[in-house]
Amino acid sequence: MAQDVLFAVEDTDDTLLEEDLQESQTEKYLLFTSADLLFGVPSEYVVEIITNHPITKLPLVPTYVRGIINLRGQIIPIVDTRILLRCDGEDNQCIIILNIEGTLVGILIDSVMKMVDVDKESLRQDLAQKAQNLVSGMCSLPDGQTMLVFDCAQILNQV
Amino acid sequence: MSANNDSLLEAYLFETGSLLEQLDNLVLAAEDKDNFSEDDINTIFRIMHTIKGSSAMMEYNSLMTIAHRVEDLFAIIRDTSIDIVPESHRPELFDLLFQSIDFFRQETEHLENGEPLTDNIDSLLQKINSFIEQIQGGGKDQPAAGEKAPAANAEVPAGPAGVPGYPHLLQVFFDEGCGMENLRAFMLVNEIRAFCQEDDFKFLPEDVQSNPATSAELAENGFLLCFRKQADRDSAIHSVTGSGFVRTYQVIDHAEEPAPAKEPEKPAAPVQQAAPAAPAAPAASAPAAQPAQPAKAAAPAPQQQDSNTRHHKESLISVNLSKLDELAAVVGEIVITESMVTSSPELRGMKLDTFLKSARQLRKLTDELQDVSMSLRMVPVSSTFQKMHRIVRDMCKKLGKEARLTLVGEDTEVDKTIVDSISDPIMHIVRNSMDHGIEDTEDERIAAGKDPVGEIILSARHTGSEVIIEIKDDGRGVDDEAVLRKAINNGIASPDVEYSHREILSFLLAPGFSTNTEVTEYSGRGVGMDVVKRNVEDVGGTVSISSEQGKGMTTTLKIPLTMAIMDGMEVSVGDYIFTIPIHNIRQSFRIEKDALIRDASGGEMFKCMGEFYPVVRMRDLYQMDEGFTNIEDGILMWLESGEQSYCLFVDQLLGEQQVVVKPLPSYLNSFSIKRSGIAGCTILGDGNISIILDVANLYHS
Repeated sequence: MAQDVLFAVEDTDDTLLEEDLQESQTEKYLLFTSADLLFGVPSEYVVEIITNHPITKLPLVPTYVRGIINLRGQIIPIVDTRILLRCDGEDNQCIIILNIEGTLVGILIDSVMKMVDVDKESLRQDLAQKAQNLVSGMCSLPDGQTMLVFDCAQILNQV
Repeated sequence: MSANNDSLLEAYLFETGSLLEQLDNLVLAAEDKDNFSEDDINTIFRIMHTIKGSSAMMEYNSLMTIAHRVEDLFAIIRDTSIDIVPESHRPELFDLLFQSIDFFRQETEHLENGEPLTDNIDSLLQKINSFIEQIQGGGKDQPAAGEKAPAANAEVPAGPAGVPGYPHLLQVFFDEGCGMENLRAFMLVNEIRAFCQEDDFKFLPEDVQSNPATSAELAENGFLLCFRKQADRDSAIHSVTGSGFVRTYQVIDHAEEPAPAKEPEKPAAPVQQAAPAAPAAPAASAPAAQPAQPAKAAAPAPQQQDSNTRHHKESLISVNLSKLDELAAVVGEIVITESMVTSSPELRGMKLDTFLKSARQLRKLTDELQDVSMSLRMVPVSSTFQKMHRIVRDMCKKLGKEARLTLVGEDTEVDKTIVDSISDPIMHIVRNSMDHGIEDTEDERIAAGKDPVGEIILSARHTGSEVIIEIKDDGRGVDDEAVLRKAINNGIASPDVEYSHREILSFLLAPGFSTNTEVTEYSGRGVGMDVVKRNVEDVGGTVSISSEQGKGMTTTLKIPLTMAIMDGMEVSVGDYIFTIPIHNIRQSFRIEKDALIRDASGGEMFKCMGEFYPVVRMRDLYQMDEGFTNIEDGILMWLESGEQSYCLFVDQLLGEQQVVVKPLPSYLNSFSIKRSGIAGCTILGDGNISIILDVANLYHS
């Protein structure tokens, strides 16, 4: 985080206004791994992270819908990202609950890493035409890794 | 501010709504007797006064004006007697009241929908006014307000106790903040002069006409009228109640003994006339407090009387339904948490006598809590049933038929959401019965050997998890041939097929069917029964019709008590747990392999009590890779829903449980999971989820 702020200041040594702009252009992402890929999901979607929650299976749904869970009285559907990414579903027990435009959905992932600030400028979103599964963009992180931006809207439209 | 206004409006609508309902019932009952009892008149008067007051507060002038005039009308009736309205005019009076009720209903509906109020109230106002004139006719003339007053400055010794020689006092308090109290008082004086000798009455303060400063005094102490004769005073009461802006008045009689030391504000032994109560008026400031007190005390008494004579009012407090849902959710959580705590694995093997004792107590209390929170949503169907009186009455008038409505079991309680959704269907059916069922003329009925007055019986009763509502008429019944002809004409039925009586009746529920060729105001749009069916099915109920030609028709609605809570049987298939509604289960049994019969298409059947039922294997139906395949290992459940009857093969019965139905997440709707026989889900005591099966749809899939 300190690094990002430092960058921002160096790049824009002009006016205060630009600095403000710059600040608003970073976004917080939650990093997680699934099927050995590093994903980031905008933190505004994240409701909470739970582990080891029993999942109730549902019949007659696609395999990637692992079932539903009871989270303090709320019934939330769980989608397995590994299966969506064409990997075998494992017994991954970590769930991120997302609130996507008012719909609560849990995604089953391998593990949660950390929160990062990502400069919006560094996001590349021109991957759409390649019909990337679950990815709406990507960007390089300061530590050299590449983060795939998790496409929340796609989860809702998966049928 | 706007939030405040909203809540005021809400309170206003609620209050007015319930008052109108009360009024409607009262007038209907009175119409039956063709008379108003003294209680009735007082109640109508009070209701109108309340509506007037609260409408004025909300600044709905049209409502206030009408309420005011009706109040006037009943003030006249109250002060004389119902006999002032000759028998021949009674129907007119009832019609007038119903018209007024409809007007209020319509206006409050406008308010509810945020539409502007109707300004045009002249015709109704005129009707009321002319009626008032009619019943007053010939009697005392209402004096014109602008009548020139003779100099009224006679020399009178002033005193708080009234005027010596004028023992009959009438203290009048004007509506708070109405303004120009002095002029209003003077108008009153003018009215009284019309029937009272100048010498026979005095009023205090005397200079009301000329001195505007008396307004304040009038507002504070009221306007004191002193009469020599009691009869004059009584007539004056009539004028007082007839004029606008009078909040309350009281009658003070001074006894013969010369002890005039009583101040008018302290009526020691007043003959308490039923003072018009104005609970809605903002009786806040100090001067209002004293006279308002007796008025308020008087008000609850008749109300209590009402509750004895009529069905208990089901709603004493209005609570937002979403709050109740929230409460139910929290209570559900508590129950689950309670069982999590008491059955915690960490406690296993420990000897905890006191803990177990307290835990048992806790369980008992949480159970009670759950019961109470569930019962909160239950309301009697009486309010819905009562509305039908009015419909029958109106249709009788309109169609020139004679019919009475009998209600049975109106105290039956149903979930609030269900009560709301069955109101329209019942109305449709009652209208249909009135329009198509009951014979057109009395002669026709007499010829058929029936009571000339038609009867419609509306009944409700519980059967375990369902409420059965029956609408039964003793009319013509369904003419099978006419129905079939119509159905063929409308393309619902095919002319080449023989239909059974039952099938023909089911055409009545098909879309676009109506046996009446004429479109009337009440029915015959051809959508009625179709809508009925859909509405009832929306809340999980069923509609069935039975009829015998010439004897009448019965429509039966079977409706689940509540959509939120039901009794279910937990069954398992492999790791899956399903809940089957208890009311769908006929029987469950284990069978031998030989008892299973295969048919040509590979389906399986089971013979039970001389009938064959198809066997559905849960495992195959839902393409699960778990669960028993050997029919002898698992258990067969004989299920029934509507017309369907079949056996479901599952692994195990886990036990019966009352469950709270939760909808599945909307995310799953895209997988058409509802059509495959899943109605919802529920959270079990241990926090696990069980899937609730929809027995009717399960078989279709």
